Amino acid sequence: MSKPAVPLLRVKNLSVEYRSDLETVKAVNGISFFLKKSETFGLVGETGAGKTTTALTCMRLLPENTGRVTGGEIEFEGKKLLNLPESEMQKIRGERMAMIFQDPMTSLNPVMPVGEQIEEALKLHNEDNKTKDRIQKRVDEVLSMVGIPASRKCEYPHQFSGGMKQRVVIAMALVCEPALLIADEPTTALDVTIQAQIIEMIRELRERLGTAMIMITHDLGIVAQTCDNVAVMYAGKIIEMGTAEDIYLLSANHHPYTMGLFGSIPNLRTKARRLTPIPGLMPDPTNLPEGCSFSPRCFKKTSVCDEVSPGVYRNGTHRISCHLLKAENHWEAERQ
Amino acid sequence: MTQETPAAPLLETKNLKKYFKVREGWLHAVDDVSVTIAPRKTLGVVGESGCGKSTLGRTILRLLDATEGQILFKGQNILTYNRKEMREMRKKMQIIFQDPYSSIDPRMSVAEIIAEYMLIHKTCSGRTAAFQRTAELMDTVGLARRYAGAYPHELDGGRRQRIGIARALSLDPEFIVCDEPVSALDVSIQAQILNLLMDIQEDRGLTYLFITHDLSVVKHISDEIAVMYLGQCVEYASSDTLFENPMHPYTQALLSAIPEPDIAMRGKKIDIIKGEVASPIDPPAGCRFASRCRHARGVCREKAPALALREEGHLTACHLHEGGCNL
Amino acid sequence: MMRAELNSEAPNTAADILVFKKESRWKEIWRRLKKDRVAMMGLVIICAVIFLALAANLIVPYSTALKMNMKLRLAPPSAEHWFGCDGYGRDLLARCLHGSRVSLLVGFATSFATLLAGGMLGALVGYVGGKLDDLVMRALDIFSSIPDTLFAMAVVAAMGPGILNICIAISLTNIPGFVRMVRSSVLNIAEQEYIEASRAGGASVMHILSRHVLPNAVGTLIVQTTANVASMILTAATLSFLGLGINPPQPEWGALVSEGKEFLRTAPHLILIPGFMICAASFAMSVLGDGLRDALDPRLRT
Repeated sequence: MSKPAVPLLRVKNLSVEYRSDLETVKAVNGISFFLKKSETFGLVGETGAGKTTTALTCMRLLPENTGRVTGGEIEFEGKKLLNLPESEMQKIRGERMAMIFQDPMTSLNPVMPVGEQIEEALKLHNEDNKTKDRIQKRVDEVLSMVGIPASRKCEYPHQFSGGMKQRVVIAMALVCEPALLIADEPTTALDVTIQAQIIEMIRELRERLGTAMIMITHDLGIVAQTCDNVAVMYAGKIIEMGTAEDIYLLSANHHPYTMGLFGSIPNLRTKARRLTPIPGLMPDPTNLPEGCSFSPRCFKKTSVCDEVSPGVYRNGTHRISCHLLKAENHWEAERQ
Repeated sequence: MTQETPAAPLLETKNLKKYFKVREGWLHAVDDVSVTIAPRKTLGVVGESGCGKSTLGRTILRLLDATEGQILFKGQNILTYNRKEMREMRKKMQIIFQDPYSSIDPRMSVAEIIAEYMLIHKTCSGRTAAFQRTAELMDTVGLARRYAGAYPHELDGGRRQRIGIARALSLDPEFIVCDEPVSALDVSIQAQILNLLMDIQEDRGLTYLFITHDLSVVKHISDEIAVMYLGQCVEYASSDTLFENPMHPYTQALLSAIPEPDIAMRGKKIDIIKGEVASPIDPPAGCRFASRCRHARGVCREKAPALALREEGHLTACHLHEGGCNL
Repeated sequence: MMRAELNSEAPNTAADILVFKKESRWKEIWRRLKKDRVAMMGLVIICAVIFLALAANLIVPYSTALKMNMKLRLAPPSAEHWFGCDGYGRDLLARCLHGSRVSLLVGFATSFATLLAGGMLGALVGYVGGKLDDLVMRALDIFSSIPDTLFAMAVVAAMGPGILNICIAISLTNIPGFVRMVRSSVLNIAEQEYIEASRAGGASVMHILSRHVLPNAVGTLIVQTTANVASMILTAATLSFLGLGINPPQPEWGALVSEGKEFLRTAPHLILIPGFMICAASFAMSVLGDGLRDALDPRLRT
């Protein structure tokens, strides 16, 4: 990967905490990644890995009273997002950067026709004073783009099925032609055949519009089918990152957690009687273990893992944060 | 693995129907489903949401009243059982639920939840014996005994699902309906629970009806698979046969829609079926998949295809296979 | 055996040898309630009020509460008459103390009756549903279409005055609302999968109602019941104000407030003091109710 001139989004050493009177949840602990124009970046991990928190922080939508960024910076189209005043941020949100949530049932207002909801997003960012007709035309356009006949724009969300609702949500996100789309588990609530439709549609739209995308999911299959670059998160850290080829090439070096994830999925092509799951559970984010967060569950751990947090090792585009890589050829420590 | 089905199936449904009365008419949740499960085997039921797979499981357990048909447990039609006989029957057939959060009472401690069935049926001599047995069950499902006094909200999804499994095992059943038992769990925990379910099955000689929407899970755990679409079973075959040679157009689409964790598959042609599941309320005559099927012909919209044997141990309900021809 | 170990998360240590005999549930609830300062304050106030009501005769004889002395008409609080005297020169302290007996009795008895009758009926129709539900709820709709006060008046008029009849009248007017609330909470609980799980285990309707439905509805029941105590005291006051119920010379908190209302400008203590008593008692009841609800909910266990 040659150094790009200006990445669309650059996240550097980002740390986020949720604080309440009782405890401090360390949700994200120093992650860095960047995203080029029209690239699809996969963020994989299990519940509580910090994927959604990362996305919300990029949108500056963390819950105000509890969520707090404790370090790092986010740069989007050359602007440092974390220092922007809220009014500036509102302009970016929706217009330059949009988000799709997991549950299409709750992200639509049940008492408002879907056409109006899409219109609303347009009106909020109507800098060039589009006329009413132009706005209506754009709504029709974007609806047909996601495969919904424009004639249905006066219908209410309950008249749509789950897959159709998710299409409406995507239409809402795309109506202002954002440069970056963050999709948080966009198909988890949908059936497989509908999921295939939506993923195919997202893939097509991305090619047509050149929108960059962060795809947040726990499904390694979806990542394999859609993403250019992938980061695997565990306990608020990126433990492995690289191109999709790097991550999915079985013969390459991998983080033990990544290997565990692959061992946990039943394979469609081979017949194995037993799966090889990762023992134990995700560590408590209010009380992360010393050293490597994965060491309590790791089958390859050594004494150093319990004491020192591993640095990042790099081989070309492939980065892994694990002490094991120190001894490997072709892998060199990356300076922070 | 032997393909011969043993003479006596443990559980059999014959033309089982479950309709719900709704405002608009009758909702055909389960429509004429006949399945057979041999002892110690797993029948996987796959299908998308609303295909009636959960209703099938609950109707078999008589948690819902069947509209028509028979449910034979070891040859006995349990639909004719009265309340008392059914209560006894509950010891033999159990269920594990999908949602580890709503399926256990938040106001009871772990030990109380697991012991509940044993106390209802008085299968143990007194409370102490029941709790002793609870402790053994906790060992079986891999829950540390120190959680006995804990409340469900203090535990994570995986552990809560283990509670549900321990409870289902507490009466030593022979047959368990697993209703999407791993769908709500993370991948790594899902694998732990799947292994546990398979181990228990082996150790205790259990028979499972395994309901799921996840095709890779169903392939992994099942001996035979029934594919359901809108209340009907459209294809029925052994697990290997079904994945090697899916015959029904719906099954084919379903299999090709799975995103595989392998980038070599990236270019794979996905057989995307258009549209979404039609309404199960008073469905029209003809094949229920016809509106989405690329092979649909005139006859498909007029006459419902019957589930029939197409080749050794492989049944489909599709007009395309009527002449015994293969796709 | 290898496998068993793989599946299990941690070997059982000696300390894990089962001690299923936990601390008894009531003990635990009491321990948690004790930690809640506000609820404990409520409990102390309630206990004090109940104690004073029970011991009223020992503190001042009942005759003092009825003895008129026109010289002391509207006397402000003094060393001799701590709460002052009312429009007939009767000692307000004595009247408040003896009045609390009637008020508390009506408040508690009616709330309890409503809880029992309304709770059971609500749980039953909510859980069983179907025709029974339709029948009961429509009947209750008819009941509640009659204005509350009018209905209570009709009952008292038909059955004659007296504390028992007042209690019956007030309970009857409150039951429909209570049933409706319990029913909606039970409908919500009945949808949960653990109810189905219990049925799959062969549990009877009674078992499910007593072990699952009621314990999960208990929070709503307690909060509503404690809130009822205060409103029932006020309803009793309304009735006595209308001349139905407690006969005039007999003191009762609500009646004291309505008597004091005439002298709001000249002798505000006549309304402030009994008003304060009602406020204190209802405040205490509601904070105690909130505390109990939290103590009973294992999800809030620390």
